[in-house]
Amino acid sequence: MDILWQYQFRIILLGDSTVGKSSLLKRFTDGIYSDVADPTVGVDFYARSLDIEQGIKIKLQLWDTAGQERFRSITTSYYRNSVGGLLVFDLTNRKTFDHVREWHKEVSEHILPHHMVYILIGHKSDLNKDRKVTRDEAEQLAAEMGIRYVETSAKCNSNVDRAFQLLSRDIYELMKMGEITTRDGWDGVKSGLTTGVLYPGEEDIEVEPREKSCNC
Amino acid sequence: MEKAYNVSSPPAFCVGANEKGNSSTYVTQPLSHGTAEAAARISKHVSRDATGCSDSRELGEAREDIGRSTVLVTDSPSGGTVSNCVIPEQGCDSATNGFTVSTMVGAKAGNSSAVAAVNREEMDGNALQRISLAEKNKESSAEEVDACHPPLNFVTAAETVESLTHSCNGQLELSCTAASRTVPEGLSNWDTDSVIQSTLSSDAVIRPPINWSMTPDKEAKMANGGLFIGHSSAKLHTETVVTIILDGAATCLSNTQCEKPSSIAMSAREGHHESCNIRVEPDGAGAQPRTQANIAGDLSGGATSNLTSQGLPSSPAPTKDPCRVTAKPDTIQGEEPSASGHLGDDLSSRPHPQALRTRTVPNSVSYDSTILSPGDEDGETFAELGTQGHSDRRFMDVSLSSRNTFESSRRQSAPGDIPEGLSVVSADPSELALQSKRPGIAEYFGRSLFPKKQREPKGPSQNVPGWKLFGKVPARESAPKDSRTIQQESTPDGLTSVSTPNLLSAGEFEARVGKAGPGGTSAGTSPTQPQQGRRKNLEFEPLSTTALILEDRPANLPAKSVEEAQRHRQEYDEMVAEAKKRELKEAQRKRKEMKERFKQEESIANAMVVWNNDILPNWENTRNTRRVRELWWQGLPPNVRGKVWSLAIGNELNITPELYEIFLSRAKERWRSFSETGSETEADDGASLADRESSLDLIKLDISRTFPPLFIFQKGGPYHDLLHSVLGAYTCYRPDVGYVQGMSFIAAVLILNLEEADAFIAFANLLNKPCQLAFFRVDHDLMLKYFAAFEVFFEENLPRLFNHFQSSNLTPDLYLIDWIFTLYSKSLPLDVACRVWDVFCRDGEEFLFRTGLGILRLYEDVLLQLDFIRSAQFLTRLPEDIGSDRLFACIAAAPMLNGNRKWSQVFHALIKDNKDMDRNCNPALKSL
Repeated sequence: MDILWQYQFRIILLGDSTVGKSSLLKRFTDGIYSDVADPTVGVDFYARSLDIEQGIKIKLQLWDTAGQERFRSITTSYYRNSVGGLLVFDLTNRKTFDHVREWHKEVSEHILPHHMVYILIGHKSDLNKDRKVTRDEAEQLAAEMGIRYVETSAKCNSNVDRAFQLLSRDIYELMKMGEITTRDGWDGVKSGLTTGVLYPGEEDIEVEPREKSCNC
Repeated sequence: MEKAYNVSSPPAFCVGANEKGNSSTYVTQPLSHGTAEAAARISKHVSRDATGCSDSRELGEAREDIGRSTVLVTDSPSGGTVSNCVIPEQGCDSATNGFTVSTMVGAKAGNSSAVAAVNREEMDGNALQRISLAEKNKESSAEEVDACHPPLNFVTAAETVESLTHSCNGQLELSCTAASRTVPEGLSNWDTDSVIQSTLSSDAVIRPPINWSMTPDKEAKMANGGLFIGHSSAKLHTETVVTIILDGAATCLSNTQCEKPSSIAMSAREGHHESCNIRVEPDGAGAQPRTQANIAGDLSGGATSNLTSQGLPSSPAPTKDPCRVTAKPDTIQGEEPSASGHLGDDLSSRPHPQALRTRTVPNSVSYDSTILSPGDEDGETFAELGTQGHSDRRFMDVSLSSRNTFESSRRQSAPGDIPEGLSVVSADPSELALQSKRPGIAEYFGRSLFPKKQREPKGPSQNVPGWKLFGKVPARESAPKDSRTIQQESTPDGLTSVSTPNLLSAGEFEARVGKAGPGGTSAGTSPTQPQQGRRKNLEFEPLSTTALILEDRPANLPAKSVEEAQRHRQEYDEMVAEAKKRELKEAQRKRKEMKERFKQEESIANAMVVWNNDILPNWENTRNTRRVRELWWQGLPPNVRGKVWSLAIGNELNITPELYEIFLSRAKERWRSFSETGSETEADDGASLADRESSLDLIKLDISRTFPPLFIFQKGGPYHDLLHSVLGAYTCYRPDVGYVQGMSFIAAVLILNLEEADAFIAFANLLNKPCQLAFFRVDHDLMLKYFAAFEVFFEENLPRLFNHFQSSNLTPDLYLIDWIFTLYSKSLPLDVACRVWDVFCRDGEEFLFRTGLGILRLYEDVLLQLDFIRSAQFLTRLPEDIGSDRLFACIAAAPMLNGNRKWSQVFHALIKDNKDMDRNCNPALKSL
């Protein structure tokens, strides 16, 4: 029933309410975008497979969390079982950017001693004229946290796939390096049906960013 | 024309059709006892009152083959003359259809009016509230009579018939008939100040009159199956127009009530092919509605069209000319009604194919056995449209003395040549596609969810991509300047393309006629032999096959060989036979569907009566009786739903409407200061500043994300502000809880069923229940107890699935959070969710978890096949076609018993022996 996959990564989306987490996921998994979406209450689920390199298929299990602070106590319980996290903020809403650091801190502390692989997402890049956060600022923050930064737009389908690709690759790389291993009772990474044999030393082929021009 | 129905004569519903030949036959069909009775009673009311104002509207609907339809609405003049409306319909195909539809309309309308009448007579004004909990206009007896059986599924196919009526005491009753497959398209343009939208297809669905009081800021929210929004300011009483033109045919609804009565009547004779477009445009301050009727058509030989004003025949319309009739009511109040008819040939009319020749058969059905109009015109079909405005003043005067003046008298002609012409209501594919694409509100309404008054929209501004649902006259300050008539042209297509899906077959027709009235059945079917014969034909000669015509070979081609010709004929016959078979099958299916709908509708109507008469007046004593509980389980009739919810939820907090106002004004102040300073000043009521700020932001953002397909809570939507108010007031009332995502859905459902203050009271009390408080405060520990208790019953009820979930680590919190937070209103279709709410109000929190078990049981087989992520996805996005009956069967099969412990016992045990035990044996807790 499922296409075979070598690994399954559980990835969680974090960020304030209405930054567009669900839209980002809908675009990534279903290829659709709609202006209005239900607010996420609790947690929502998405899934998609990615070919990360020749012969290596990764199944991404995506957890979309409620952004409202009130739900924090619920969502924290989901951090632990995630291997990767997208820290999403809204480029047009300064506050959401300011909160990124809090998100990062909270999650990192919560899952100690383990680690999570993050990527910082500046979302709604189509609304460039309303932008409240410059790319430089965001890149600087990302550098401070030691993570990547990508600007995306679900509306224009800009960089969406790339963001997930980059994150998945990073996780995969860390797995190859042995930094991340599957372990019992942890759902962050699962080995798939075919026994995952890693080929250390194999060069990673750089994926060309498939950035589309934004026509909106 | 006869001033046939004067005030004292019972309104009659008439279908007139003209037989092919010149023999005119009349079928008198008592529609139902109730109907006749009601009619009589109503008319008594009418006659009692001094002015003798009867206001009736006549709706006729007929269709020509492809989506051709005409709907006429007539207003009777206040003098008591009722204009009759007979619409001859042309085109063989149209005949049956039109006939059917009109029959149904009449029958149903009659039926419902019976209910209405009964209630008016015997019950308190508010007893039957169709439009539930409408604002009670205390002084002016703004009773809301619910005459409707919520038509439920009737309407699902976007079919509705509604009737519009003005009753005398400032109430507006609406009943309208419209037929159109193009509804969604039509909607998009409906900015009219008042819009009546009816979705109809050939198999018209019946919509009983709906009444609401017309105080300025009243709105009616109503829904079943069509959407129907009307608003008129108290003074102006200018109503609505809906015009849908399908391929040259028009569906018109007009309902005017203006300063000056006026009427237009038009009659068309046999052989006319016409399309009518009636427009009523309230002019200026709405005091001078302009009624416009356009009749475009090609009249085939010898046809005349008569203009009748006030029931008096006037100038014949020029033959072969499309005519335009415009009536402009005079503006002077209180003067005698006048109508000016204006015939012009400037109307564009498309030539219609010969094939559409009409032969009509007069066939009148009326419950009082009074043969109406077509009577004296042998072999002629005529159509009249009458629209009259009423002097507002007079209208109001009348209202003082009578409670109900309206009855609709209708006549409809069943046009055409029935035998060959089976009714086909067709929709071109694009229309169908449109319909299916926009399940949104029509669907909900079709499921008769919202029994309440309609809110006013902010304006026509909203640029929603889809259709515009609510257009209304903003109350008083901006009088209806230009309520526009919207005309929607559908793709001019196929007179020839007959689309099967919409076939209304004879079978169905028969079924409906049968249903139309117990007494009427036989009358409807038997009295006229020609009719009968024709109908019989209909049964076996489905229409679409007539589209398959075996043409003679063109003369310029060499003749076929004999064998070839024979083969072709044979092939043709096979094709026809095949098509017939298909159609018959379809017809049977439809008939069955219709039967079910009728049944459902009836049971709901019955339940409504019981709720109103027996249960609600004696609430405390009856609420826990077995009978009531059973009835309750079956779902509350939409129009008592809000009331029952309110009563069941109670008001422990003793919130009064005044208190609500106080908190609302506080909330408004806060928004103001927030928008001025960008931040809030006072930070002392419990929640952190940041949290409250985000609450304000969030409310705004979430409102537009609440039931987006309905397009009523979105900015510019009719309920946007209301939802904003209720949520805002709540955050002021309970700053310790504040706004939590998910609340907007709960508030929205309440708003759909209750008036503003009542909705707030119910909302606050609902959220004050222990379970809700635990969730909305996100008291994690307590929530875990709930999940753990759920798992106890889960394991008990569905051990296999329980184990499956456990092995894939799918804990209940992953799906329950969403379900419980929103009380299923986000996850289940709204009508199903409302039923869950019904029983939740009866049984309390336990039922929420029981519903969860019901869902799991319903989809157990599916879920057993799915892995973690798919199960999780499935449960957080349940199928949209989940049916309430199936779900409730599953819920019923999930008793909340663990051994002999009940939910509350299990739950409290869990709370007691807390930590040590739970950590070990509950996966939900382990994972968290």
